[in-house]
Amino acid sequence: MHIPDGYLSPATCIALYAGSAPFWYTALQRMKRALHTQVVPLLSVFAAFSFIIMMFNLPLPGGTTGHAVGVGIAAVALGPWGAVLAISIALAIQAVLFGDGGITAIGANCFNMAVVGSLVAYAAYRAISGRAPIESPRRVIAAACAGYLSINVAALFAAVELGIQPLLYHDALGAPLYAPYPLRIAIPAMMIGHLSVAGIAEMVVSAGVVRYLQKTEPFLLRATAPGAVPGLANAEPNQAAHASGWRATKRLWLALAVLLILTPLGILAVGSAWGEWSPDDFSNPDTRAQIATASRNQAPPAQAPRGLQRLATFWTAPIPRYAPGFLKSASFGYALSAIAGAGLIILAVVLTGWLSQRLPQRKGRGRRQTSFVERTIATLKAASEYSAAADEMSRSGGVLQRVDPRVKVVGLLGMVAVVAASHRLPVIGGMFAAALGLAIVSRVEAGRLARLVWIPVAFFTGTIALPAVFLTPGRALFVFGGIEITAQGLRSAAFLVSRAETAATLSALLVLTTPWPWVLKALRIFKCPMAMVAILGMTYRYIFVILQTAFDMFESRKSRTVGVLEPRERRRLAASAAGVLMSKSFQLSGDVHLAMKSRGFRGEVHVLQEFRAGVADWCWLAAFVFSAMAALWLGR
Amino acid sequence: MPAAVFELANVSYRYNSVVALDDVSLSIERGKRVALLGANGSGKSTLLRLLDALYFPDSGMISFAGQSLQESRFDDVEFAFDFRRRVGLVFQNPDVQLFSPTVFDEVAFAPLQLRWTRDEIVCRVNQALDLMEIRHLKDRPPHQLSGGEKKRVALASVLVLDPEVLLLDEPTAALDPKSQSQIIDLLIGWGDGRKTVVTATHDLGLVEDIADYCFVLQSGKIAAHGEPSELLRDQTLLERANLIHAHRHRHESGKVHSHPHTHPHRHE
Repeated sequence: MHIPDGYLSPATCIALYAGSAPFWYTALQRMKRALHTQVVPLLSVFAAFSFIIMMFNLPLPGGTTGHAVGVGIAAVALGPWGAVLAISIALAIQAVLFGDGGITAIGANCFNMAVVGSLVAYAAYRAISGRAPIESPRRVIAAACAGYLSINVAALFAAVELGIQPLLYHDALGAPLYAPYPLRIAIPAMMIGHLSVAGIAEMVVSAGVVRYLQKTEPFLLRATAPGAVPGLANAEPNQAAHASGWRATKRLWLALAVLLILTPLGILAVGSAWGEWSPDDFSNPDTRAQIATASRNQAPPAQAPRGLQRLATFWTAPIPRYAPGFLKSASFGYALSAIAGAGLIILAVVLTGWLSQRLPQRKGRGRRQTSFVERTIATLKAASEYSAAADEMSRSGGVLQRVDPRVKVVGLLGMVAVVAASHRLPVIGGMFAAALGLAIVSRVEAGRLARLVWIPVAFFTGTIALPAVFLTPGRALFVFGGIEITAQGLRSAAFLVSRAETAATLSALLVLTTPWPWVLKALRIFKCPMAMVAILGMTYRYIFVILQTAFDMFESRKSRTVGVLEPRERRRLAASAAGVLMSKSFQLSGDVHLAMKSRGFRGEVHVLQEFRAGVADWCWLAAFVFSAMAALWLGR
Repeated sequence: MPAAVFELANVSYRYNSVVALDDVSLSIERGKRVALLGANGSGKSTLLRLLDALYFPDSGMISFAGQSLQESRFDDVEFAFDFRRRVGLVFQNPDVQLFSPTVFDEVAFAPLQLRWTRDEIVCRVNQALDLMEIRHLKDRPPHQLSGGEKKRVALASVLVLDPEVLLLDEPTAALDPKSQSQIIDLLIGWGDGRKTVVTATHDLGLVEDIADYCFVLQSGKIAAHGEPSELLRDQTLLERANLIHAHRHRHESGKVHSHPHTHPHRHE
């Protein structure tokens, strides 16, 4: 569900940044009032928890893995506004630092997962839990529903955003400029994976953690329980007051919930849709007529394009074992494309994550049969090693390393925006060359950039862009035994890949040449509220503490288990680990708050401004601005 | 000026229903180095947090330099800042205390909260870094440091305020022997006898190095108090407080026997 750079048009990105902004603002305002409480460390630790939970790889049917977001439990424990902030922070760190989700798409990803996810989760939790006592099983069920619903609604939003791209943004010949799949493919593709597995994962995490908190830290559930005093104070719930407003709308919410679950299924049930035909549809007279009507009366080719056939079977390879009977049904073609899309998206996400985390330290190459527990350990470990490597490089004395971080943040992110807006390949190429030049003078090795950025991004965008090469209608350039490669297809694929590569290289340069704490400090020139910057910083810091805890927990479990665990056991292990981790996180946040208080913290964060921009920094700023303007002009 | 820095009268504190401190009365004199001895869960950390006014007693009274510590008094910014500057607590787990992005920011956190001027902050932070010999770590993120380095940063982050009273929770826990002795040497050297240092520990080996006076805590009560040399001789008391254990070993003759065992001296 992490939309990368290059999948959404700049206009969509800006719109979604704008859509998230009022929620961020409100959340910060709400938070300000609660700042003297445990909220600051609690939020930080929660964001770190969400970050980590997204790294817990759960096994999916077909041998791939997926993950929960943690938004359900965040909303239950922190309330909607706290959750908006916590998840946004986790997403921002993932995008900027770990390349998971695009920089230009932070607004979109935050809107889907943090804003929509939190609000839906909170509404569902409050509606279903009603006035049930803190220890009631009803709260567990409510949390489960909240988790399941929120991640699915978030996925639906993401699918819609991706799906409207080809509709709104295409070249003269209809070749998509950004995300290539239309709504009818994007929605089922996203939803199947989330309805089936990621949703369940989120459900298990939410329910498990709430059950755990009921036993160990019930006071943490009071904040969002009816009648409790707002905020995170350790107050006794006041059963009599409140709740009448929620009660009145409960049925409405429930109905809405049911509708939300059914919506994607309804879309799925619609027969054969445009662009999702099965190979068989091309030889059946009835379906041929339908295709023609749907495609502005252009008759489809007499035979299914062989490329489509081959790609379709390639994508679905893992699925037939899972649902063979289903595939023979009448909606074969539709289901095929849907499942193929879902498989492709999940596979691409998982593989990118896997590649980017694994490539720097690929050791156990021959071992394919690693359990997801081991994979999780590896991911956790690689994340901390990656950051250590980045920190080390950011302190070596290259050219960019000496530039004032504020200039770098403005300059490089500005270039990213220009790349996203550019409509000419030579301009994007020029920007890429400029990024390469900067990398060389900053002593960032090409090998490292290739491992961290180029190969994963090429793989990710390549898998998405590849079908466009074959499926985009237009002038055929090459024909290989029935497969046509069109000029338009190549063009849109080239745009997608080059934009993503250039944007990712520029962002990587920023992160690799600037110690993360300085990136954070530099954010202040964007008038980011102090508290927000402090929370970001603390989140980053505690990610490593919790990472270490999670890592130790998994290692110790592993050392105490002999042989291979049943999948059910493994899932139980992951769920309980998440619970323990959560409890430890909460305890940590309590102690951190005391430690802050002990040193005079009274709710306002004061930070020391250390940067001093010199003449060289102003020159760099001018250079950045000039090249960005030039590229904007040339690439318009 | 009263001679006692801290005065506790019949202080009790409980977490939900678990009693952590039960009717504790004690007084800590100015300029003394005091050890709070006790096994895990005996209430040492709770007592330190009460002394640092992070928790407030459920019943009883705590006073600092003759002024009673009540939660409402901390609403007064002047009073709160004055207290926070004069009393510093170093937590047992340095991860709890190190929440800033870099070591420099970490040490600068407290002075910043207390609104010192920029130049003064930079100067004092550098002094504290030098005192703990960690100036070279200034720009590093705390999460990448070793256990010993983290502890030094945690100490520097409190010592930067030059507090009159230093509260230490297990200062040598989970440190290797070399880091332990370095930390102890730093603490012995700090303050030249003018400062009050309260150390909670269950490491009897440290006591004679770091304390002039001890309180032994057991299940939230003061079980004994006195000079370290007397207390360390009272084997029954120490065994009852779970501070020593029977040392079982085999002699060359093949005979196995056991006797109470302490680790009173450290040899470097």
